[in-house]
Amino acid sequence: MSFRIATAQLWVHDQDEALKFYTEKVGMEVRSDVTMPEMGDFRWLTVGPAGQDDVAIVLMAIPGPPVMDEETGEQVRDLVAKGFAGTIFLTTDDCHAAYEELSSRGLEFTEAPEERPYGIDSSFRDPSGNSVRLTQVRDLATL
Amino acid sequence: MAFVPPARHLLRAKDLADARYFEPLGVDDLARAAGLSRAHFSREFRRAFGESPHAYLLTRRLERAAALLRTTDRSVADVCLSVGLQSIGSFTTSFTRTFGVSPTAYRASFPPASRYALVPSCVMRVYGRPQRRTFREDSAAAAL
Repeated sequence: MSFRIATAQLWVHDQDEALKFYTEKVGMEVRSDVTMPEMGDFRWLTVGPAGQDDVAIVLMAIPGPPVMDEETGEQVRDLVAKGFAGTIFLTTDDCHAAYEELSSRGLEFTEAPEERPYGIDSSFRDPSGNSVRLTQVRDLATL
Repeated sequence: MAFVPPARHLLRAKDLADARYFEPLGVDDLARAAGLSRAHFSREFRRAFGESPHAYLLTRRLERAAALLRTTDRSVADVCLSVGLQSIGSFTTSFTRTFGVSPTAYRASFPPASRYALVPSCVMRVYGRPQRRTFREDSAAAAL
């Protein structure tokens, strides 16, 4: 038996805004964008990095009743806004270059690239508050 | 225009504290980042994150200071200034109250920073090579 990670999910406050951010600012590709009227206009929206076709992130709208009661929905919205709903960890082979490129597209970093024992690390947030880390992992074998 | 939960603005202030703790940043700057008056901001921040913005900023600075004490050989005064604090006296007091030991004692309780420095092997080979010690050649050279 074996399995692979195919898709992981992020809660977002606004799918259009999130889509614009992850494609135009971060530079990811849309993998899937399908709205299903028979499921109360549920929209399956996924994005992923170019060159890594088998992994995607679902940008999931926080649903209302009957899927999620109002109070829980409010709690989830609040948790995301407070930055406690999870993190996406991206790796890159050149953190400084990625920082320059993303900044030039208007992406605001919360942490500029910094040397850490494990590599060069930086971070930003999506409009909803989800944290994204962008790390150039140190290859210990090259030392 | 998408609906933005109020906490998202507070998170901007928290991110600012995390990102620019090393600058002379204060609660007023954090309130400005959140777009709120100082009094309202402090109240809302505490309600969202369970501690005052002042406490958050100070503990962020102390956390970074502790890391610098563990991973560098910089002086305590330098560490204090590197995390955006101006007074060595208040830094030492806050640090001791928070960690239970003074900055110097805290540092002494960890292995020396040099142990964790990932110095490339080529540098170690060049700088670590001992000077050759001999007897006759040296005295012969000295006699010249």
